[in-house]
Amino acid sequence: MATIETEQLTKFYGGERGIEDVTIAVEEGEVFGFLGPNGAGKTTTIRTLLDLLHPTAGSARIFGLDSRRDSVAIRARLGNLPGDFGFGKAASGREALALLARLRGLDDLDRGEELARRFRADLDRPLGQLSRGNRQKIGLILALFHRPELLILDEPTSGLDPLMQEEFLALVGEERERGCAVFISSHELDEIERVCDRVGIIRDGRVIAVERVAELLGKTQRRVTVAFAEPVDPAELRAIGGVSDLEATDGRVTFHVSGELDAVVKAIARHPIADLELAHPTLEEVFLTYYREERD
Amino acid sequence: MTALIAVQLHERRRSLLAWGLPLGLMSAFIVAIYPSVEDALATAIRDYPAALKEAFGIGELTNVEQYLEAEMLSLIVPLAAGYLAVRSIASGLSGAAESGRLDVLLSAPLSRNRLVASGFAATAIELAAVLVVSLLVTLIGGWLAGAGLSTGAALAGFANVWPLALLFAGLGIVVTGWSLRTNVVTGSVAGVLVAMYVADLIGRLDTSLDWVRYGSVFRYYGSAIEDGIDPLAFCGVVIVAVVLATFGALLFSRRDLSP
Repeated sequence: MATIETEQLTKFYGGERGIEDVTIAVEEGEVFGFLGPNGAGKTTTIRTLLDLLHPTAGSARIFGLDSRRDSVAIRARLGNLPGDFGFGKAASGREALALLARLRGLDDLDRGEELARRFRADLDRPLGQLSRGNRQKIGLILALFHRPELLILDEPTSGLDPLMQEEFLALVGEERERGCAVFISSHELDEIERVCDRVGIIRDGRVIAVERVAELLGKTQRRVTVAFAEPVDPAELRAIGGVSDLEATDGRVTFHVSGELDAVVKAIARHPIADLELAHPTLEEVFLTYYREERD
Repeated sequence: MTALIAVQLHERRRSLLAWGLPLGLMSAFIVAIYPSVEDALATAIRDYPAALKEAFGIGELTNVEQYLEAEMLSLIVPLAAGYLAVRSIASGLSGAAESGRLDVLLSAPLSRNRLVASGFAATAIELAAVLVVSLLVTLIGGWLAGAGLSTGAALAGFANVWPLALLFAGLGIVVTGWSLRTNVVTGSVAGVLVAMYVADLIGRLDTSLDWVRYGSVFRYYGSAIEDGIDPLAFCGVVIVAVVLATFGALLFSRRDLSP
């Protein structure tokens, strides 16, 4: 049984499309990335899963339970970080933590304290006095402190500094080891690539692909720039399958490559190299790959 | 649910100072000056048109209780308490939606009905506490001035405001079922509060328009400081408030909670 299972989940706001026919499954212990630009429908999907929005059509099951009828029982077992976390200005993180612990019937706040130390979060200052990043840390603590079986995180690293982003990614790995399923929405491909097992890509309210991360990256084009220490005939590289858009100027060769990199690396390695840069595809480049596939 | 009520009450503790104390001080001032203005008032009131006296519940103003009723309990205290009630409901629901708190609370195993019920209960307790503070300050003022204010009558007068204010809390929940915008909730319910007062006033001024008073809670409010609490009206208004809150909770549980 999948931890999250949606079947043609659809939400319209009046006549305006939110999401349409979203069908995905997230397995126990899986980290699933939900990737899409702003306005694509990531947050609508999450809010529908959490019963904050009621679906226009389709269904969602979490832990095998109906997301609408059994939403209270479901929420007892999950942790959620909303996209724009807030808890009012006056309450401190500790007060918010204590309230949520009571609502969950927990007395032990040790895990919350431990997470606060790990994220270097200030639990005692009113949330209104904290920066966005520090508020986000409190949101993460509130989502994680009760050791949920499912984590739903909407843009979790938003506002976090690079060190805390690393800490967060490590924590997600630990949660996966514990058997927790994690559903992360993001528009940062880099973040998704590092931590997720599979990724769903959503655009204009529709899921256009669900892939393993390795397959996703294998399909997308990466830009390679090589500065050779001596002149090289670019035709040698142009002849390799998957290489396109090649440009050569003054010993520097720039091209796109899709699929396996092995042949490219071996061809380059036959010559002395002064510099090498491999750029990850941007989100738009990922989308272009899938649009091209759809057209073909 | 008690945890949620306790937190809301803790956050609204300043209401006692911000609302209870000023209302109490104003009432205490009215009571305290009564002995010095008593004779002049009696003379002036005798010349007022009968309809005007009826409309504002002025009567003959022959004692301090009547004066407190005319100056505070017939208008200022119920309007202020009614506004406080809807403001509290709005901050607990639509305000929480705007601040993002609602999303966090509803990530916990808490049903929307329980969330609404806790907000209504916290508002009921907050209103009672504010009215108790106002009453105590008024009684202390009366005692210091030697105004001879009856404790029982004053208690009845202030207690009678509670169901009226609670009704606007219930109405606030109904509006929240349609709109999660705080200014829409407070603005529309405050408008209904004033409209009900004006309707009651018009019905009193012109007996041919007495029927308009039936739609106003002020018709059932009466003058408890003079006549004592009408248990039927008191309980009836509380029941209507609870019914409104229940209907509002139903609307709230069916609506989308959009960011």
